[in-house]
Amino acid sequence: MSRTFKDKLTSNDFLITAEVSPPKGTDLADMLSDAELTRGWVDALNVTDNQKAIMRMSPLAVSKALLDGGHEVIMQLTCRDRNRLALQSDLLGAYSMGIRNLCIMTGDHTTKGDHPKARPVYDLDSVQLLSIIKNMHNGYDIAGNPIENPPQFVLGAVTNTDPSKKAQMMKLRKKVKTGIEFMQTQAVYDISMFESFMESIGDIEVPIIAGVIPLRSANMARFMNGNIPGINVPDEIIERMEAAEKPKEEGMAICAEAIKELQKLCRGIHLMPIGKHNNTPTILEMADIRKKQ
Amino acid sequence: MIISSAKPFEEILEILKDEDDIFVVGCNACAAKIHVGGEPEVLEMCQRLEDAGKHVVGWVIPSAACSVASYDSLVEKNPAIKDAKTILVMACGSGVSIVAGVVDVPVYPSNDTVSLGGRTQGEVVPELCAMCGECKIYYFGSVCPKSLCPKHLLNGPCGGSVNGKCEIDSEKDCAWELICNRLEKIGRLDLLDKIWTVDEITE
Ligand code: SF4
Ligand code: SF4
Repeated sequence: MSRTFKDKLTSNDFLITAEVSPPKGTDLADMLSDAELTRGWVDALNVTDNQKAIMRMSPLAVSKALLDGGHEVIMQLTCRDRNRLALQSDLLGAYSMGIRNLCIMTGDHTTKGDHPKARPVYDLDSVQLLSIIKNMHNGYDIAGNPIENPPQFVLGAVTNTDPSKKAQMMKLRKKVKTGIEFMQTQAVYDISMFESFMESIGDIEVPIIAGVIPLRSANMARFMNGNIPGINVPDEIIERMEAAEKPKEEGMAICAEAIKELQKLCRGIHLMPIGKHNNTPTILEMADIRKKQ
Repeated sequence: MIISSAKPFEEILEILKDEDDIFVVGCNACAAKIHVGGEPEVLEMCQRLEDAGKHVVGWVIPSAACSVASYDSLVEKNPAIKDAKTILVMACGSGVSIVAGVVDVPVYPSNDTVSLGGRTQGEVVPELCAMCGECKIYYFGSVCPKSLCPKHLLNGPCGGSVNGKCEIDSEKDCAWELICNRLEKIGRLDLLDKIWTVDEITE
């Protein structure tokens, strides 16, 4: 039997995860062919949950389709759209369908998405959701009622990587206290900041999987700096993108260099390309990462 | 105090389009302080309604619209209310509701009620308390995340803040930025470590 994501978390492997987006529609073919591009290259695929508060197919359904296709899946679950009843019932459903890995997050506010008038829920926050899932593992729901055949998930969470942000760092520690087994980060461009981030959590043993997003243009880098939370693209990188004749190739090279550096600093990387995974194998090859099977 | 803002006059005319013989009720409490229901605003409203062709039968400004004791107490202040076929209340939603409870004619609001807030140094400050019924504001440096954070997050900020501003409004400070600054100022950053469970009421 091939090793699970959980097995790999406790190994010395450098982990590769990647993100796939559910379709806005009912046909899974495009999503599955995108996932196919990553086969053999990644240890697990994150399935996003109405990412950026934009309505898409349920991550439950998409995760199931990926599992059926032989992929290892990390289902993302936000606190934005479901109250505690819906969260717990989806979690039971997820486990019964074979989903084993979860990545829990607060979720972007509804006003940021394509249904800005939707009522945001946030009945629980990410720390609370993580701890109640632990209780479910022990056989109890939030109300204290017993759960038959309780689920046993591998729990993960997310974080930004600016060590100077006190409240964020404090929250990261609260998530760690709930017993999570991995943590994925916002995209990292500033390697030295990431280094100090890792130093500041040197006492934490939870595997850190650093996010990477290949840049496509200098404009994209500038835009992310002012608009995407938790992202800091250093000036040198913006200048390199500006000077490049083929910015997309340069973005891939920068990404591969970052991955090489990150291999020395943390337990894995999480690839979140804008669009499809066509370039994912090339970027990983450029970073001297070998195909797994 | 209850923070409300004046509806655009066109909207008020629209909601009153089938009504006439209007009696205006102001409010000498919150609405007066933030200039959406005190005497100057009530007089201006009467004038504008008349200019728009409506008949205003009279007006009154109780000490607080939300504490009007009875219909008689309004009559005592201005008997013209007896001729009213419609009442326009220039107060918050609870003022509108209380007035409606003591009269037998349709009652309309002139304001949009926004939140529980305050006014200091000449500025209106909205969203200071979400009236959760179990005050724990002292754990947060007396800056309430149940009200100020749109996600009501008690265990720390979401990852969505950019440059210290809130994910949903780049003009607004992130509540957690304010909480941290305040706790640092009073030397109580240790309070950040408290883990809030699912039993805590957030709204
Ligand atoms: S905790 Fe916040 S919402 Fe609750 S009563 Fe206190 S200030 Fe108001
Ligand atoms: S940015 Fe701050 S105030 Fe806004 S939702 Fe996130 S934590 Fe709450």
